[in-house]
Amino acid sequence: MAPDNSSAPGGSSSTTLVPDEKPSASPVNILPSLVSRIYSIAHPALLLALGATRFEALVADPTKELLYTLPWLTLIQILYVIVCLPPAGSTPSAETSASAPADGKSSPRPSVPSGAARHGKHGKRKQHANSWALIWSRLLPALLSLALTFAVATPILTILLVLFGAPLTTHNSETVLCAAHMAVLSATALIYVHGLDRAVWNEVWGIARPADAVWGSALGTGLGAWFGAIPIPLDWDRPWQAFPITILVGAYIGYAVGSLLSRTPLVYGKRVRFTSEDLSETEKKTN
Amino acid sequence: MVATPPAGTMGTSPNPSGPKSGLPAATARSSDQLSGGQSKRMQAGLLDKKALELENEFKTKHLGVMGVLTWILLLHVAGIYLFTKGFLLTRMVLEDKSACDVLPFEDVLAQPHTTALGSKQQKGCWHEKTFDKAVVIIIDALRYDFTVPFASKGESDTVHLFHNNIPVLYETAVENPANAFLLPFIADPPTTTLNRLKGLTTGTLPTFLEAGSNFAGTAIDEDNLVAQLHSAGKNLVHLGDDTWQALFPGYFDTNLTHAYDSFNVWDLHTVDNGVTEHLFPLLRPENSKKWDVIFGHYLGVDHAGHRYGPNHAAMASKLQEMDRVIRDIIAALDDKTLLVVMGDHGMDIKGDHGGESDDEVEAALWMYSKRGIFGRTSKDTILPPQSVRDRFVPQIDLVPTLSLLLGMPIPFNNLGSPIEEAFSGARGNNWANLATVNRLTAAQVKRYQRQYALARGAGDDEEAALLWTAAEEEWKSTSKGFTSKSTAARASNELYRKYQRHTLDICRGLWARFDVPSMIQGVVILFTSIVLLIIYARGLKTDRTQLTSRLLRFASVGAGVGAVAGSVFGLAGLTEMSIVDGAVLLAAAGSILGATPVLVKQPANLTLPLPNGMWGWLAFFFTVSQSIGFASNSYTIWEDEILLFFLTTFGVCAGVSSMRQKQTTDRILGVYHSILFVILGRIASFSRLCREEQMPFCRSTYYASSASSTSAPWQLAIPFLVTLFLPSVVRSFYAGSKSYEGAAPPWIGFAFRFGLFVTSVFWILEGADDGEWLPLSSETLKFVRVFLAQFVLALAFAAGSIAYFYSKPCVSINVIKPTEDPNSPPAPIIAGQQQGPRTTVTILGFGNVYGTHFCFLLLNFALAIILMQKPMGQGAIALLLWQILSLLEILDTNSLTMTNSSIGPVILGVLGSFYYFKTGHQATLSSIQWETAFIPLATIQYPWSPIFVILNTFGAQILAAIAVPLTVLWKRPLQTHDRVPASNPNKNPATRILSDVVQAAGTHILYLATINLATTMWAGHLRRHLMLYRIFSPRFMMGSAVLAVVDVVLMIFAVGGVRWSTLSVAEIFGW
Repeated sequence: MAPDNSSAPGGSSSTTLVPDEKPSASPVNILPSLVSRIYSIAHPALLLALGATRFEALVADPTKELLYTLPWLTLIQILYVIVCLPPAGSTPSAETSASAPADGKSSPRPSVPSGAARHGKHGKRKQHANSWALIWSRLLPALLSLALTFAVATPILTILLVLFGAPLTTHNSETVLCAAHMAVLSATALIYVHGLDRAVWNEVWGIARPADAVWGSALGTGLGAWFGAIPIPLDWDRPWQAFPITILVGAYIGYAVGSLLSRTPLVYGKRVRFTSEDLSETEKKTN
Repeated sequence: MVATPPAGTMGTSPNPSGPKSGLPAATARSSDQLSGGQSKRMQAGLLDKKALELENEFKTKHLGVMGVLTWILLLHVAGIYLFTKGFLLTRMVLEDKSACDVLPFEDVLAQPHTTALGSKQQKGCWHEKTFDKAVVIIIDALRYDFTVPFASKGESDTVHLFHNNIPVLYETAVENPANAFLLPFIADPPTTTLNRLKGLTTGTLPTFLEAGSNFAGTAIDEDNLVAQLHSAGKNLVHLGDDTWQALFPGYFDTNLTHAYDSFNVWDLHTVDNGVTEHLFPLLRPENSKKWDVIFGHYLGVDHAGHRYGPNHAAMASKLQEMDRVIRDIIAALDDKTLLVVMGDHGMDIKGDHGGESDDEVEAALWMYSKRGIFGRTSKDTILPPQSVRDRFVPQIDLVPTLSLLLGMPIPFNNLGSPIEEAFSGARGNNWANLATVNRLTAAQVKRYQRQYALARGAGDDEEAALLWTAAEEEWKSTSKGFTSKSTAARASNELYRKYQRHTLDICRGLWARFDVPSMIQGVVILFTSIVLLIIYARGLKTDRTQLTSRLLRFASVGAGVGAVAGSVFGLAGLTEMSIVDGAVLLAAAGSILGATPVLVKQPANLTLPLPNGMWGWLAFFFTVSQSIGFASNSYTIWEDEILLFFLTTFGVCAGVSSMRQKQTTDRILGVYHSILFVILGRIASFSRLCREEQMPFCRSTYYASSASSTSAPWQLAIPFLVTLFLPSVVRSFYAGSKSYEGAAPPWIGFAFRFGLFVTSVFWILEGADDGEWLPLSSETLKFVRVFLAQFVLALAFAAGSIAYFYSKPCVSINVIKPTEDPNSPPAPIIAGQQQGPRTTVTILGFGNVYGTHFCFLLLNFALAIILMQKPMGQGAIALLLWQILSLLEILDTNSLTMTNSSIGPVILGVLGSFYYFKTGHQATLSSIQWETAFIPLATIQYPWSPIFVILNTFGAQILAAIAVPLTVLWKRPLQTHDRVPASNPNKNPATRILSDVVQAAGTHILYLATINLATTMWAGHLRRHLMLYRIFSPRFMMGSAVLAVVDVVLMIFAVGGVRWSTLSVAEIFGW
C-alpha cells in the first residue's frame, strides 16, 4: 500500500491536543496537610464502607434508600472537597499549575515535598489568623459546585442513563436518584477544583484530563457504572439485580478505585489515548 | 466525456481536498496553453489509451474481488452445512409396516385373541373395532384454553376475545360424559402443521431436521394411519389444508377430496368455507356409503391468529363459526361414526407457532360418539381438566387410539399409548379391555424398538426389557382368571403403560443424538475461515486486489483436489462419511490449505492483526463480548437491549473523540452527529416485540397490543412521517458537502419520496382492509394493494438500478470563461500554475463524489425494505438510514474513513443486528413475519415469496451491509491516476478504492462470522441444555442465516455496486 500521505495531516492534526496550544490546568494534588492526605485516602474507603452497610436497605427499597442517603453522601463529599482539595482559582491550584511544566519534564511524580512545605507553612499561618475565613473560602465554592452538580450534572447523567437504556416510562425516581448519586460522586469535586474553566471542561468532555484524584474518581464513577450494567440481564433472580442497584455499586467501586489508582505514580498525570498516533506522538516528544 | 477538462488539467492543481475533505467545492483552473493542437491530440489519445487500460484493470480486479468474497461465502456455507448436519437431530426411518394378520407378539401361540382369522376384516384386525367410520376434524391452532370456560386466575386475568367462543366441546363432555371427552393434547415441538400431521398419523416423534421442510412437504414413507386405512380398502376423503396432499399423495378419493392452498394466511375464509361446503353433503345418509373416513382440516383459526393475534374480534367470530360447524356435524352424525375434533398445535400470545412454548404445544382433543362408549376410570377425571397441568395426553396417543377404535393395526413406528377414556367402557371399569389394548400397543412398541436397535446395531435397553418382562409375567399369571373388574388386570395395564411411557422417554433421548464429529468439522471450517478473513481483512499491508488471482487459483485448486479426494474416499469406503460430506469437508479444507500460503507468503506485507487504538479495541470488544455473551441464555434473550447499550457506548466514545478533534468544524459536526446517533438509537429502541422469555420485564409496542399482529391506527401515521421527513434528512446529508446536485434532487426529492408515499398509501389500505373502514370489497383492496407494492418494488429495484448504472456523480460543474466577464477579479495564484487567460471550473459536490453516488444504491434498498416492513418497522428502518448517515459523518470527522478503521463496518454490523429486533423480530422461529410474502403478491410464488420474507426479516442487516462500502467512500477525496504521487506511477487509484472497500466488507463479514461461530459453538456445546430449542438453537439458525444473506448481499450488491459508482466518477474525472 502506498504511504498514505493524504491521511498523515489528518492524523497529526488529531494528535495535537488542546493542552499543547494553551496551557490547561495540570493534575490536581491533594492538599499537603497531614489531615488532608490521610482523609483523602480514608474517604474512598469510608464511602465504600458506608455503601456496604446500606446495601441491604438499598436492595429492599432503592428509591427510599437513595433519597435518604443522598444528603449524607452530599455532606461527606463536601467535607472531602473542603478538607482535601484546593478550590477553583485558589493559590495552591495556581501554584501547582505554574509548576506543571517542571513536573511534566522531570518526572510524573509531582513536586510534593517542596509544595507540601510551602503549603504547610501557608496553611498554618492562615489557620491562626482567620480559620473561619478559610473555611468560608472553601465552603462557598463547595456549595456553588453542589448547586451546579444538582442543576446541571444530574440532568445530564439522567439523560445519559436513559440513553444507555434505562427505562423512560417507569423507574423515573430511581433513574434520577441514581444520576444524582453519580453526579455528587463525580462532578462535585471536579467543579470545586476547576470551576468553569473552559479548557478543563473541554478536556473533561474529551476524556483528555491528566489523571489525578479528582479526574480519576470521576472517570472511575462513569466506568464503574458502565460495568455495573453488565449483571442486570442475567437470570439469577437476585433482588440486587434490579435496575439502579448494580449501576450504583459499580459507580461507588469505580469512584474508590479511580480515586486511589490515579494517585499512584504509575498513573498520575497520564492521559487516556485514543489512537496509536497519539501514542507515537508522545513517544517522539519524550525521545 | 462531458465538457470538463481532461484528467490531466485537474492534476496540475494541487490536491484540493485534504484527507478530511473539508472542501465541498473545489476550484480548478485549466490553462489552454498546451503546445499546439497536434501534440494535444496525441496526448489526449495517450490519455484515452491509458484510461482504457486503467478501466479494464479496475473491472478485472473488481470481478476478482467478488470471486474472493464468493470463496468466503462458500467456506461459510460448507462450515454451516457440516455443523448443521450433525447438530439438527435425525432419526432413522424404518420402512416396516404393520399388517392386519400379523400380531405384534413374538409368541403368536400365546395369543388368546387370535381366533376367527376370517372375520378379522369385519370385526377388526388386532382388536375388535368400535366404529366403522370416522370424521376427523382438525381445527388448526385450536388451543386448549379456547375450548374450556374461562376461569380467572387473578385480578389482572380477564376474559379475552378468544375465550368462551367455542363452548360445544366442553358442554357435550360435561353433559354426556359417555358420549364425549375433552382433553389437553400436547404437541411435540416443532409446532408446525406439517410436523404435527406426521406425528398425528405415524405416532412417532419429530426430529429437528424435519422442521425445515414445512414449505415443501414430502410424502411420508413411514407406516402411518392413513396408509393403513388405505391398504385396508377404506375410502378416504380429505378436505382443506393441502399439506395432506403432499404428505399422503394418492391415498384419498379424488372425486370427493378438495384441497386448498394453506399458506395464504391473510385469507381467513376460503379454506373453511370450502371444507364446510363439501363436508355436509357427505354426512347425509344417502352418501354414507361413499366414504369411510373423512379428514377435514380447517385453517381459519390459525390464520386469524397469524394475521390478527388471538385477542381479536376476527378470532372470536372464527371460533363461533367453528362452534356452529361442530354442532351441525353432531346433528348429522350417525351411530356408527366416530367424530374427532382436535387442534394440531396451539398459538403464542401473538397467534404464531412453531416453537415449544406452553401456549404453542397445548392443543385440544375432543372425541364424540352417539353410542355412549366413553368412560372415566376415576372420579377426578370426569370433568375436562381446567388447565393442562391437571391431565393431558400426548398427541401421538391419537394413533393407537384411532387405529384400535377403527380396527386397524397400530402403525409400526407408533410410540403413543391408547387413550384411557376411549377403551374403559361407559362405566369406566373395563380393565380387561384396557389391559388388552395396552398390551397390544406395548408389544408393537417393543417390536419397533427391536427393529430400530437392529438397524442401528445397538442393544436393547435393559430397563425397558425388565419392565416388559414384569408386565408379561403379570399378564400371564392372571390372564386366565381375571374378570373385568379385577385388580390384576388393572396392575397389568399399569405395567404395560409404564413400559410404553418408558420407551417414549428413551426415544426422546435417543433422537437427541448429535453427530459430534460432523459438528466439530463444521466449527473447524468456520474457525479457520475466520482466521483467514482476519489476515485478509486486517493483517495485510498490501493492496488486496493484487493477491486476488493467486488466491483464487490456489484456493480453487485446493478445493478441486479436496473434492476429488473426498469423493474417492467416500466411494472407496475409507470413511464413514457420505460422498457429499467428505467432498465438502475436504474441498473446504483444501481451499483453506491452498489459500493460506498465498496470504502469509510475504511476511513483509503482514502486520499483526491486533486491534489498533481505541477504535480498534472498541470494535474488537463489541464483537468478542457479544460472542461470549451468547453462551448465556440471558444475554441471548436480552440481545436487543445489549445492542442498544453498545451503540450508545459507541456514540459516547464518538462524542468524546470528536471533542478531541483540532478543527472546530470537525469538533462541532462530530459531537452533533454523535449526540444524534445516540438519540436516534434510543428512539428506535421504543419499537419492541418482546419474546416470551423477556416477560414480564418487557412491553411490546410493535403491534396494536401484545396479543395482536396488526398495527394500531396511530401507527399508520408513521409511514407518512417517514415520507415527509426521511428524504429531507437524506438531502441534508447531501447538502453538507454541496452534493445535492445532478441526479440527487430528482432521485431523493422526488422518486424516493414518491415511493415512500405510495408505501404509506399501501399501509393505509391494509389498515382499511383490517378495520373495514372503506366500502370496498376485500378483493378490490387487495388488488390495489398488490399493484402499489409491485410499483414500489419496480421503482426501487428496476428503475432504481438502471438509474444507478447510468447516473452521473452528484456534482455540478460550472465553467466560467474569463472572456465573458473581463471585469472579474484576477484569480488567485496557485502554486505551480502559469498565469494567463484562464477558464475557471467550479465543481460543487466535489468533496463527496464517491459517497453520494453509491448512496443511491442504499436509498433504493431502503425504499424496498421500508415497503416490506410493518408501519412500526418502517419508522425503525428510517431511523436506521438516518443513523447510518450520521455514522458516516462521525467516521469522517474522526478521520476514520481513510484509515481503514475496523469500527465503521463493525458498528454497521451492530446496527444491522439492533434494527433486526426493532423491526418486530426476535431470535425465534415464531417471530418470522410470513404474511409479508403477501405484500407484493397475491399468492405464493417461488422464488419471490421467500425473497420477500428475507427482505422483511433481514431488512436491517441487508441495509447495513449495503452501507458498508460507504465507510470508505463517504467524503473520500477524489483520486485519479495523475493525482497519486509520482513515486508510484503504475498504481491505479481505482484499485486502492477496491482494496479499501473489500477490506471494509471483509471486516463486516468478520463481525458476523464471529457472531455466527460463537452461536454455533455455544449451540453445539450446550446441546443438552434445557433451553437449547428455545434459545440457543434459534439463535444459531439466525446467525447462520444472517451470515449467508449478508455474504451474498455484500458480494453482489454492495461490492458489486462499487463498480458503477467508480466508473461513474471516472467518466467525469478520469481515471
